[in-house]
Amino acid sequence: MRPFAYTRAKDAASAIKLLTENPNAKFLAGGTNLLDLMKEDVERPNALIDISGLGLSEIKTITTGANQGGISLGGLGKNTEAANHPLVRQQYPLLTQAILAGASGQIRNMATNGGNLLQRTRCPYFYEVSMPCNKRVPGSGCGAREGINRMHAIFGWSEQCVAVFPSDLAVALAALDAVITVRSANGQQRSIPIAEFYRLPGDEPQKDTNLPHGELITAIELPKNRFAEKSYYLKVRDRSSYAFALVSVAAALETEGNTIKQARIALGGVAHKPWRALKAEQMLVGKEATEANFKLAASAEMADAKPLAHNAFKVELGNRSIVLALQMALNGGKV
Amino acid sequence: MKDANKVIGTPVNRIDGIAKVTGKAPYSMDHPVKNPAYAILFKSTVAAGTIQAIDTAAAEKTQGVIAIITHKNAPKLNVKGGLRGGSLLQSPEIEFFGQHIGIVVAESFEQARYAARLVNVTYEAKEPKVDFDQLAKQARVPKDKEKADLKRGDVQTALSQATYKVEEVYETPIEHHHPMEPHATIAEWNGDRVTLYNSSQIVNGAQAATAATLNLKPEQVRIVSPYIGGGFGSKGGQWANLALAAVAAKHVNRPVKLALTRQQMVNSVGLRQHNRQKVSLAATADGKLTALAHETTTHCAINDEFIEPCGDCSKIMYDTPNSLITYRVVPMNLILPTYTRGPGKSTGSFALESAIDELAYKLKMDPIAFRIKNEPERDPSNGKSWSSRTTVQCLQEGAKAFGWENRKPEPRQNERGNYWIGYGVAAGTYPAHQRPTSALVKLKRIENRVMATVELAAADLGTGTYTILTQTAADALGLPVQDVKVKIGDSDLPPAAGAVGSVGAASYANAVNDACQKIIQELVDKSGKQFYVRPTAAQLMHSEKITDYQTRVDSKPLASSEEYSAHSFNANFAEVAVNKSTGMIRVNRFLAVTGAGTILNPKTARSQIIGGNVWGIGMALSEESVLDPRWGNFVTRSFADYHVPTNLDIGQLDAIFINEKDDHVNTLGVKGIGEVGIVAVAAAVANAVFNATGKRVRELPITPDKLL
Ligand SMILES: Cc1cc2nc3c(=O)[nH]c(=O)nc-3n(C[C@H](O)[C@H](O)[C@H](O)COP(=O)(O)OP(=O)(O)OC[C@H]3O[C@@H](n4cnc5c(N)ncnc54)[C@H](O)[C@@H]3O)c2cc1C
Repeated sequence: MRPFAYTRAKDAASAIKLLTENPNAKFLAGGTNLLDLMKEDVERPNALIDISGLGLSEIKTITTGANQGGISLGGLGKNTEAANHPLVRQQYPLLTQAILAGASGQIRNMATNGGNLLQRTRCPYFYEVSMPCNKRVPGSGCGAREGINRMHAIFGWSEQCVAVFPSDLAVALAALDAVITVRSANGQQRSIPIAEFYRLPGDEPQKDTNLPHGELITAIELPKNRFAEKSYYLKVRDRSSYAFALVSVAAALETEGNTIKQARIALGGVAHKPWRALKAEQMLVGKEATEANFKLAASAEMADAKPLAHNAFKVELGNRSIVLALQMALNGGKV
Repeated sequence: MKDANKVIGTPVNRIDGIAKVTGKAPYSMDHPVKNPAYAILFKSTVAAGTIQAIDTAAAEKTQGVIAIITHKNAPKLNVKGGLRGGSLLQSPEIEFFGQHIGIVVAESFEQARYAARLVNVTYEAKEPKVDFDQLAKQARVPKDKEKADLKRGDVQTALSQATYKVEEVYETPIEHHHPMEPHATIAEWNGDRVTLYNSSQIVNGAQAATAATLNLKPEQVRIVSPYIGGGFGSKGGQWANLALAAVAAKHVNRPVKLALTRQQMVNSVGLRQHNRQKVSLAATADGKLTALAHETTTHCAINDEFIEPCGDCSKIMYDTPNSLITYRVVPMNLILPTYTRGPGKSTGSFALESAIDELAYKLKMDPIAFRIKNEPERDPSNGKSWSSRTTVQCLQEGAKAFGWENRKPEPRQNERGNYWIGYGVAAGTYPAHQRPTSALVKLKRIENRVMATVELAAADLGTGTYTILTQTAADALGLPVQDVKVKIGDSDLPPAAGAVGSVGAASYANAVNDACQKIIQELVDKSGKQFYVRPTAAQLMHSEKITDYQTRVDSKPLASSEEYSAHSFNANFAEVAVNKSTGMIRVNRFLAVTGAGTILNPKTARSQIIGGNVWGIGMALSEESVLDPRWGNFVTRSFADYHVPTNLDIGQLDAIFINEKDDHVNTLGVKGIGEVGIVAVAAAVANAVFNATGKRVRELPITPDKLL
């Protein structure tokens, strides 16, 4: 590893200050992603500000404001705690399933909610420093565009970057319209809807998100909803656990009789960000919850996919997975 | 009564188990040495070409760096000394991506790794040969005589005349061994003798090859390898890192620790090659095989050849008048392939046993009945009698235990919820050999207790060598197991075979048995007495008042063993559940039935078999090392990308051993189980996937995308 300075932050304000003052500094939370990347020389911070002692891990019901009645997850809470908290299990089982579909027990015990949202792509060309990668070294080229791209994007990619965002948690959050609460150098809190938090690679694939340097994720807010009865997180992967998604689907339905009042669908493993399947959602609202309608919605969404040389299967897999996830959601987790 | 006193054949707990789980068993990096320095290798980032310049100035200036060694200042080594894979820093030529091009030695591992990043290398790169699909058509006849074309009868005519036939190509990808303990060495010089703490499946082989490479005499090199954190073939032949650790230690005049990172493992210590196997089978309408051809195309290194014997199972599994086994190979800019668990047989059986299943399906025959119908009475490849053969028993006992009668012959007939359920079977084999091995037995009497120490340069891969040798000596000496100590894994001990090719148990246990029998005989002779009941070592030491006694044997295979064809055999049964929508597969149940002669310890044996099964399931469903065909680098460099099975992928595992006694193979009747456990596993799973879904996947691994 490159030499770096290490500071244990005393409080949020000083942590943010330290980071803002140094463009090459990084927050260290659970370290499960950042340290791996430093060992591989992909991330090269010259200073780490350890925020793991700041608290900010509470899970509680929101009592005021726009998301009143929803819940708030501390930005530094552990993935395991978030997945297993009774409030989450009862009101947002989709989130529990998504978190537990990710990584391994040991990693989830270390990994924080904020860190999970900011984990970096698993593209192998990003990971190996001798390879070209515009995300790692802007202007160096994209190794995956004409290379091995079975795991890569089918939506929203650019010639500069075809990487996908690997988080499962974020896919469920996208479906649940979560809001990310961040704190900036001036001490202000701001709320960023998850749809505005992530971005497509475009000409600046080095930027994964729209979060400016120096801002600290303090909480994730989940608006109140009526999806708890009918939601499902489906993760299709090369082995049954401890693998990143080929395609994942967070599906949630609110029905009246057999009519769909609200549908939420977000896809993972297909784009540079959690992919909200808005087209499919719109097609479902007001319709009967039938397999035929699920199929129509799925194919409408997947029709826009632009597969690469090795991942055409993701289009068919996406189609099938959306349908299966909706069926599973409708039946409370069973087919 | 007498057998009830024997510990051979009983499930004695692993002798080394507690040391391992309490962290007391020293693996390569754990041996205490004074004031070690830390070395890291750095590697080429092109697959073909020449190094033009290596700029080490920045690296040398960083904190803690002691030395940097490259081809410019490395000592002259013997590249033909027997270490595999080249990469010995002897020239600026690059033959594969990730070839070692230098060593950084520093005060800490982190400092060494950081400095290695700062080395600036410029290459004159050449277009690498790494695209197997492109290159396969240039494949040539192998240099290895054992891979020469093997023809019996006339396969072509038999194929052209047959109504029932299968002619298909089966692909198995590059795989890596990835033992939990990556290759690591501590090198410590003492005068002109070097001790290398290095886990080695062949202790004496590692010694010989390293000595020759370093231009030393064998006795100037000592290999210490009491424990091995897995090897699977990658620690059989040794690789450049072993000699380079010695070079680095000499250079800095200090003990040096040199460990490979997980990412470096993909191009440092061999791999299982990509095999393209064409299998052609023909049969009569009533299911008698008339032709079997198994033609393998694969790759080797630019300047060295290794080919795993994919056609081996096809040589002996089935009775057919016409047979053809061939190999073709193309050199590529990739590290030398090497032995990998079940070399040739695990991958070859995938092709053969898939084809057998395909043909049985066409014939509308039960695949077990089809196999039994073509059971050969003698070894078809050489006409020898079998020392014993259990294929039919394995198939029949397995069918009963597994509930084969519940299998639906047609695919897509068995469903459970959103899953297709399928059953598959496959049969396999692995040769049984014993290799020359010496063993020293020492007896010591202290007051009322007689203790034995057995010493030989054997290896324990984590498989149970310590345990079975303790059991063997205890029985032969008539001592309780706690009074027997086994010392292995050190080239200063009497020379022994390697723990490779399933020869370990047979070679070691027979040598230890011979040595113990000999010591008893010598003590009896010494006493001048006649015994009607065989005395124990303790009785003899007491009655003759001896405090110390030792003897050594140089044990060899039975002279008669060459007259027979000796192999372990198995039959594997798999039940899979395939998600109808997503193609995700789970192996619900897997049963391995094995005939491997005397089972010395059913507990360690079972672990061996189910361990092999798990890797075989990985081979079937998820393991694949993916090369970028433009640059020759692996994109699957860690366990995040190289998918070994997880607990959730695998349901219930069961192992049954056929109760057989093979008197021809060796004195103890031991055949070996390490390799056969992975043979015919992938095929059983693939056949089950076909039975479930009706999709025949001929290209491993069977990932979900292939079932859409
Ligand atoms: C082998 C493996 C498999 C995995 N599989 C999966 C999977 O299947 N699905 C999945 O979703 N994830 C998976 N993960 C990723 C894992 O979830 C992440 O590594 C983890 O969530 C990161 O959290 P952390 O607290 O350790 O973050 P760190 O590594 O500490 O930090 C990650 C990044 O976030 C920044 N950061 C952290 N906290 C904050 C904050 N509060 N505010 C602002 N910036 C912050 C850091 O500066 C850093 O840039 C896997 C990881 C590994 C190693």
